[in-house]
Amino acid sequence: MERFEIYRCGDIEHPPRPKVAFADRRRVIYIKERNFNMLKRDLILRNPLRLMGHETDDILPPGGFGAVLARAGVGKTALLVQLALNSLLRGRNVLHISLRDPVKKVCLWYEEVFRNIATHYKVSQMDQLWDAILPYRFIMTFNIEDFSVTKLEKRIADLTEQDIFMPQMVLFDGYPFDGAVFEPLAELKTLTRTNSYHTWFSVRTHRHEEPAPDGFPPVFSPVASLFEVAIRLQPQNDGVYIQALKGGNAGDKTPKLFLDPATMLIRDAA
Amino acid sequence: MKTEINKVRNIGISAHIDSGKTTLTERILFYTKRIHTIHDVKGKDGVGATMDSMELEKERGITIASAATYCEWRGHQINIIDTPGHVDFTIEVERSLRVLDGAILVLCAVGGVQSQSITVDQQMKRYKVPCIAFVNKCDRSGANPVRVIKQLREKLGHNAVAMQLPIGLEADLEGVVDLVEMKALYFDGPNGETVRSEEIPAHLRDQAQESREALVDAASMFSDELMEAALEEAVTPALLSAAVRKGVQTREITPVFMGSAYKNKAVQPLLDAVNQYLPCPMDVQNEALNTENDETPVILSNDPNGPVVALAFKLEDGQYGQLTYIRVYQGTLSKGASVVNTRTGKKLKIGRLVRMHANQMEDIEAIQAGFIGALFGVDCASGDTFTAPGLNLSMTSMFVPNPVISLAIVPKDNKSQINMSKALNRFSKEDPTFRAFVDEETNETIIEGMGELHLDVYVERMRREYNAEVTTGQPRVAYRETITRRADFNYTHKKQTGGSGQYGRIAGYIEPFADEDFVFENKVTGGSIPTQFIPACEKGFKGCMAKGPKMEFPVTGVKVVINDGASHSVDSSEMAFQAAARGAFHEAYGKAQPVILEPIMKVVVESPTEFQGGVMGSLNQRRGMIVGAQDEGPMCVIEAQVPLSEMFGYSTVLRSSTQGKAQFTMEFSTYRQVPQSITEELVKKAADNKKHVA
Repeated sequence: MERFEIYRCGDIEHPPRPKVAFADRRRVIYIKERNFNMLKRDLILRNPLRLMGHETDDILPPGGFGAVLARAGVGKTALLVQLALNSLLRGRNVLHISLRDPVKKVCLWYEEVFRNIATHYKVSQMDQLWDAILPYRFIMTFNIEDFSVTKLEKRIADLTEQDIFMPQMVLFDGYPFDGAVFEPLAELKTLTRTNSYHTWFSVRTHRHEEPAPDGFPPVFSPVASLFEVAIRLQPQNDGVYIQALKGGNAGDKTPKLFLDPATMLIRDAA
Repeated sequence: MKTEINKVRNIGISAHIDSGKTTLTERILFYTKRIHTIHDVKGKDGVGATMDSMELEKERGITIASAATYCEWRGHQINIIDTPGHVDFTIEVERSLRVLDGAILVLCAVGGVQSQSITVDQQMKRYKVPCIAFVNKCDRSGANPVRVIKQLREKLGHNAVAMQLPIGLEADLEGVVDLVEMKALYFDGPNGETVRSEEIPAHLRDQAQESREALVDAASMFSDELMEAALEEAVTPALLSAAVRKGVQTREITPVFMGSAYKNKAVQPLLDAVNQYLPCPMDVQNEALNTENDETPVILSNDPNGPVVALAFKLEDGQYGQLTYIRVYQGTLSKGASVVNTRTGKKLKIGRLVRMHANQMEDIEAIQAGFIGALFGVDCASGDTFTAPGLNLSMTSMFVPNPVISLAIVPKDNKSQINMSKALNRFSKEDPTFRAFVDEETNETIIEGMGELHLDVYVERMRREYNAEVTTGQPRVAYRETITRRADFNYTHKKQTGGSGQYGRIAGYIEPFADEDFVFENKVTGGSIPTQFIPACEKGFKGCMAKGPKMEFPVTGVKVVINDGASHSVDSSEMAFQAAARGAFHEAYGKAQPVILEPIMKVVVESPTEFQGGVMGSLNQRRGMIVGAQDEGPMCVIEAQVPLSEMFGYSTVLRSSTQGKAQFTMEFSTYRQVPQSITEELVKKAADNKKHVA
């Protein structure tokens, strides 16, 4: 009897499969999994971040630094979480480091943004998809005053040496950019380069500050040389526009993307 | 009974084991003249402390049951409710914290803020219970109340501020300086019952002045009046205590008192503080859940003339039957009144009302809103709400999580068997997360609960309180089965072997359904299955859910839809259709890719930072998914999701790998699919067991 049920596809790791009793295993189709992978790929394809004019999905080169600049409360964390979810969907490990919020609150951010994405794109198997991406995420939180690069290195070593978690993307939320931060950031950059992480920072700017001569906000200007990509969230009447300040289509004056103020999801401005 | 509600305090005394909670309670009862002699916890007279009704608590280092006791101090009525501090007893904790309006957090002057103090404090934070702190054991060598206050600030994040200074420390402890009144207090007499107030000793004056300024500084945040008075240097004790009281009620300040209960020092000022700073029932807003409207919160009025709402928060088996501790939140519960138990919907008449003092009781006529008392001869479970007829309110959520772990128990002899069944009956009434039943196949008695320790404690209680010796089997995890895809069935049940025949055909499909355990839908049109046989079909399908065909675990999350079938005018019967449904379910189940689900626990480990790597490794080895690690100075908190089956004996492993410095809590989180390799292991184990039985 000929049965066409199942065959495996996609680039995502699968749990071990049950033994198949008929001859050609290559012809086996796992329909559920195929649907699932299609769903993931679909969400990645629909991801409007691709409009940022970057060559790769990562936006950043390996070992690169990216910054999301905005005033308080505009949506830096929401954007970071979307960058993270995009990586998680592609099965890449994301280490989220928060210097401000406890683990619980960071989890809530992810749940909220994921739920919004899933509702927006009408994902039917929301729970399964969530369970599937969760193992790729690791959250670390530090008190701002206790944080140091050496400490972080030690923590990451705890994870990598025991093969618990190998970060590929690292997010820093709440890293203080006020004051002398060039040196610690340079240290972080070395760490990032050595391990080929894609590292993103949220950078809080201030409302009434004139831009520095290089056009960057004053908090960011002294360290701008360390960053490959910088994007700014600019609130305007009908939403928050995403402008490229450095890297990608930075010269482009008309922003192609904006954050929907209701859901904080990235949308195509067109 | 006193009727002035502002003179009532319902408080809990929470503490780490061995910080002297029982001794303190004992002294409180002595000074309030509820008892006339003092028996120490480990006293030579063999009587033991009054509140200490359960030996087991001491041994395990946890408080299991909460006793309620009543006393009077300077015109105020104080109800003391004991609170359990372990997370495995979540329901019990929730109940006793609901009943409290305020708490005394007892800390050891030597040990300071210990791991259990942290757990207890977190629970109080969750339920927003205002508290004052008492640094006990200032007479011990190594006592350092200043360090404890610092730890309260750093480890627990309290805005802790000293209300007293010790006069002498360790063996030289003589008394305390009251920083509000600026007086030195000494405690004379054989049991420290006479409080002598004097001038502050000269060597402490400067320090007292300094500490008072710190206190005024902290308290002035809550009172503009005090702030102004402080600027004009005209702070009065009344202004100062009013400001502290305000801060305590909103949990923004924690006044710290100190002394030594064992040496009879400074317990009376603590009682004054309870009266002065902790809230009365009127100050606290209580919420009930409206059971008719999706459990939406409803605010209760505290009005003694309103319709009655009362919570049964604890059961006790007394000489004369079941004693039910209750707290009235609204209205007045009087003898002879009729109330409704919201859970069961049954109406009942209040017979005897009593007020409890550890093991003695006195009869009373009525219990008003804000008061605590006990009922006699009422059949109910712990956590039940009694309301006036017509009110559909419940004080606790009706949602009870399903047990995740089970254990077989076998009584040693006949006497134990009788006692065991008595005990199980009691426990399952007391605690809705504890269940007991007899397995029909193995004839074993199975108990189910929320964790290893949870069951351990009940087994131990059976032994001690009921004299029932039992042996226990290996703990078993409550696995489940479910299907992952839609599958069709079309099954005919036909039998003609003498007698009347049996005939029934059922067609339709089964599919995964996330929200409920079992859903049955009838889409049969044109009467291909006669209507009278549809319930039989449902029954047949439902019967299959108890034991899944894959591994004999209960099946959950299945929707059955029938859309066609056939019947025979003579041979079709309910029995035939039930059999057909069973056959259909088995036919479709195999095709629907059944999987095994296992309970996943949310595990939170708190450990010194230097052991973080090791702890994460140990969780990872247990198939744990680490959600995050939170760095909190010298300590870190690691949160993970770990299958329950991997968590047996984890406390020993954790202790040995962290020199006993880490602690963990565990609660049920969700059910998740078991990985293939583990499923194979389970299948193999089940097959082995079967062989063994055969």
